[in-house]
Amino acid sequence: MDPSQRDRLSQLVEELTMSGQLQLNQEKMKEIKKICKMSNDCIDHVYHLVMSQLNQDHSEIRLSALQITNELFSRSHHFRTLVVNNFQEVLELTVETDSEQPLPPPKEVARKLRALAIQTVQAWYSSYGEAYKKLALGYHFLKKVKKVDFQDTEARTEVERTREAERHRRMEAIYKERVEAASKDMEDLYQEIETTLKEMESCMKLLFPEFDDTDIQSRPQIFQSASECESADEQPCCSRDLAEDGKETMIKEKQEEKICAEETRDEDDHMTDRPAKKLEEEEDDEEEEEGHNEDEGDSFIRSSGLISHSYSLDLTINPDLRIKENEDNEAVVSTLIELHRLLSSKHLPAVQGWIQVFTKSGAEQQLIRRALYLKQSIEAALQKHEELHIDYKSRVRRVMKASSDGEDDDNDDDDFEEVPEKEGYEPNIPEHLRAEYGLDPSPSTSTAPVTTKSSKQMASSTPLPSSSSSSSSASARRLKRLLEEQSDPTCVAATLQLRRQLEQSSFQSTSSTRSSKAAPVVPFGLDLYYWDEEQPNAGKIFKSSSQHQFWAHAPMEEEVENKELLAESRSRYISFPGSFTPVSHFCRARLDNGLLCQRQDRFKCPFHGRIIPRDAAGLPLTEGDRLREEREARRKREEEPDWRDPELMRDIELATGEDLGSDRAARKGKGKKKKYPNLTDLKQSSSTSRFRLEKKIFNKSAMRRVAQVMNKADSRKHDKFSNQFNYALK
Amino acid sequence: MLAFLTARRAGLDDPLRLRRAESTRRVLNLKLNHDRDVDRIHGNGINTLDIETIEGRYMLSGGADGVIVVYDLENFSGSQQYTCKAVCTVGRSSRHVHKFSVETVQWYPYDTGMFVSSSFDKTMKVWDTETLKPAEVFEFEGNVYSHHLSPIAKKHTLIAVGTKNPKIQLCDLRSGSKIHILQGHRAEVLSVRWSPRYEHILATASADSKVKVWDVRRASSSLLTLDQHNGDKTKAASETVNTAHNGRVNGLCFTSDGLYLLTTGTDDRMRLWNGATGENTLVNYGKVCNESRKRLQFTVSRGCSPEFVFVPCGSSVAMYALHTGELITMLRGHYNNVDCCEFHPDYQELYTGGKDCNILAWVPVLRDPDEEEESNCVNKGVQGPSSVNPAFQDAWSSDED
Repeated sequence: MDPSQRDRLSQLVEELTMSGQLQLNQEKMKEIKKICKMSNDCIDHVYHLVMSQLNQDHSEIRLSALQITNELFSRSHHFRTLVVNNFQEVLELTVETDSEQPLPPPKEVARKLRALAIQTVQAWYSSYGEAYKKLALGYHFLKKVKKVDFQDTEARTEVERTREAERHRRMEAIYKERVEAASKDMEDLYQEIETTLKEMESCMKLLFPEFDDTDIQSRPQIFQSASECESADEQPCCSRDLAEDGKETMIKEKQEEKICAEETRDEDDHMTDRPAKKLEEEEDDEEEEEGHNEDEGDSFIRSSGLISHSYSLDLTINPDLRIKENEDNEAVVSTLIELHRLLSSKHLPAVQGWIQVFTKSGAEQQLIRRALYLKQSIEAALQKHEELHIDYKSRVRRVMKASSDGEDDDNDDDDFEEVPEKEGYEPNIPEHLRAEYGLDPSPSTSTAPVTTKSSKQMASSTPLPSSSSSSSSASARRLKRLLEEQSDPTCVAATLQLRRQLEQSSFQSTSSTRSSKAAPVVPFGLDLYYWDEEQPNAGKIFKSSSQHQFWAHAPMEEEVENKELLAESRSRYISFPGSFTPVSHFCRARLDNGLLCQRQDRFKCPFHGRIIPRDAAGLPLTEGDRLREEREARRKREEEPDWRDPELMRDIELATGEDLGSDRAARKGKGKKKKYPNLTDLKQSSSTSRFRLEKKIFNKSAMRRVAQVMNKADSRKHDKFSNQFNYALK
Repeated sequence: MLAFLTARRAGLDDPLRLRRAESTRRVLNLKLNHDRDVDRIHGNGINTLDIETIEGRYMLSGGADGVIVVYDLENFSGSQQYTCKAVCTVGRSSRHVHKFSVETVQWYPYDTGMFVSSSFDKTMKVWDTETLKPAEVFEFEGNVYSHHLSPIAKKHTLIAVGTKNPKIQLCDLRSGSKIHILQGHRAEVLSVRWSPRYEHILATASADSKVKVWDVRRASSSLLTLDQHNGDKTKAASETVNTAHNGRVNGLCFTSDGLYLLTTGTDDRMRLWNGATGENTLVNYGKVCNESRKRLQFTVSRGCSPEFVFVPCGSSVAMYALHTGELITMLRGHYNNVDCCEFHPDYQELYTGGKDCNILAWVPVLRDPDEEEESNCVNKGVQGPSSVNPAFQDAWSSDED
């Protein structure tokens, strides 16, 4: 055999097995076959190569090697004899026949390897089993002794199957236990849930009666019957009417008797638009209808003034019901809330848990059905509750009040409600707080805009605001709405507010004496003392030409003018620190991690040099800067230690599409490059913190050092106390 | 071969010589042959095999599940292909079957109407082959590792039994009682073997790493204790004095002439001893893998000019030249540990049994039919129909060109 062929074969086998792929590269495989075809020597060589690869502690390598074996096995008799002669080892390495030699990691691939090996052995046996005795023996060995089920797609051995069965049994026991517990729970809770549901049902019935559209639709369009039914249907609604409201509603009724049916419809639409005041309008609606019915009834009885005998009346029944809590139904509603909470937070999860347990463990049909029934009824109840749209908002406050004031608080509320604009009126608002309150600065006009606005709103919302039954909650809502409107920039209130603020600020700016404020305050000095005047003897000093005290003559004394002193006395040093302006720009040079440098130096960043204008990606805007920066970066990269993993960087580059300089790093770190990048790295798992620590601690030199220190301590003891027997013994 | 024949015919050679040469040639060509199969009866590992010496026709096998099977080895069909049939079986359904693993089986040396088996159920049973019922049952205090009937004894019918108890029991078939004990070992006795040369000489191997040779006529103490260092005190540490191995000694085998004794131990060594003096011949067989905690049954060829040893070595059987220690070949065919091997002296066949439930027959393959056929094929051209199994042909597809 040619040495070149030999080398080529070695290279090919290595490439194929080290590729880490699940499938062989067909091109390379073909080349191997082509070379192998030439002589048996080549086959021998390939056999040894493949066996050595099969012996590697890496399942991916073994898998590829097995695939090569399979390819050649079907081709060459010589290869077959070789493999069959060493079939024990092949089986050990691929099917895991020896329990002391488990297949190497990665686990996933090991499983695949096993399955493939078993399939392969079966295929070999079916085609060559008769000719090669040992192959048949191996097959029987796997089948009889190792109890490999060749039909089993998962190719599990007996041990695995028993383990699986064991696990299954255990799970079943657990499930059974759970089912028992759940059914017991259900027995216990069933009554409770039933009663809860019933209570809730009756609560809802109290709040809002059963109301079926289908009834209405099925009804004949003949007016009379309709009206009768209508009145009958609506009858329970009257029970909701408040006793106190009785009179007022009567008045309203009178007022609105003139409104025709179309208007009623409009009103209805209107009502859906304004959820806030739904109660009143609902009441109105209902009353209108009542009045109408009466009216129509009368007219029917009279029947003379009518154009037609039958009228078609469009009744729009608002499908989404809204119920508002008030004093009357408070108890019912609070019960309802309680029940709702109980159902949704306790019972529903419990029921869902049971259903889960039952379905998972395949419990009796009856149990499941019962649980499902419970769940359905709970869900139906909750759904119904949803549909009622009960308004709880004022509830908390009400409860608090009720607890503090007792029974009389309703009356008290009424007393206070005489003054509807309470929340807008605050006579003692300090001037500086007025803006906060949304008020005009001047106290004389303080309440005017608010009152007008709110009254406007009142007019639009309720026809008779002062007589509204639940004005305390309503007024609170109104205030809230006002605030909301102010925060809404499209609203009138907001515009007003803005204008007010503007006026205020302009007034301030015009009246202030800005110049005096801007003038600096300086300490008093000579220059100020002689401000705008000639300084009499500034800069003049006596100069005696002779230093002698007695022998000098009098007129010799003269004054000399010193220019420096003169200037000194006239001028004034004012140290001008200026005002501190915080730096608002960032360095914005691009960092290694892809972010921009967030340093805020005034002129120069200690890391990235002079601060220059940069674009969004952190690149300098000017060409010169950019060039310089690139040059520097290159230089730096060359100096950089080789800590960067080129593989990782290449991955990142592929992901981000930006050049991080991995090819350069790769070129430099030739020694560090991984030989087979596609193989799963088995050592990765071993670099755990424990492993690293162990490496440090059980390092040979470290151990030696410790031992030395301990020996030293020991020997010192010996030196000192060796003559004293009781120490020496220690 | 022809030269040998003519030489014999001319009276130049001893007739034995031809026979030796031919059997040696056959032994050297032992292969796992497709033509010879042994019925798969055992559902568990096979611990022991024995071929009777009278006809050389029947083979006993004892399995780890307590089953004992008798095979017919003779091929009367005329064709090459032959499967050794199981003649009769003491199966699990039998009332008398051993409860636990059968460790040793042996034919009565003079008649196939009787055989003896011993088991881990602490019994040794003497069976009537016709009825497959035990004629006699000996019970012991511990697991029975091994027993042996002297193959040449005329004056006694003693069965030596090695059990968990360090004392060796001697049972007499005539009286059906345990008549004697031999004391001297300190641990369980794993193997016992009568000398094929002197009927009163018995060798025993024990887990205390000692091998003792006894004369049963003088039962007060052993004749000699084999010493691996031949009494050289300088080499031996005090605790290894008079030991045959540095581990458990679990295999014991006399050569067919009884002049030499072979022992194997868990120190992965095999040693050859002079049977008369107890001297270590210091033949180096290299490493003989041996992890068995029980008896290891190995065998020596008979009638070859250099004799061969067949010793289980992991999942294969190693074949050594007896006196040089040269490893001739490894017979690889089992898929699990091999426990026993038995040589058929008439046909130079080897039967091996292992934990993979197989009994493999190694048959001499004198000529390689495939080679000739293949050369025929080449002569005829590739497309020519061959009588050879098509599986032996290469199947290179043309697209590799």
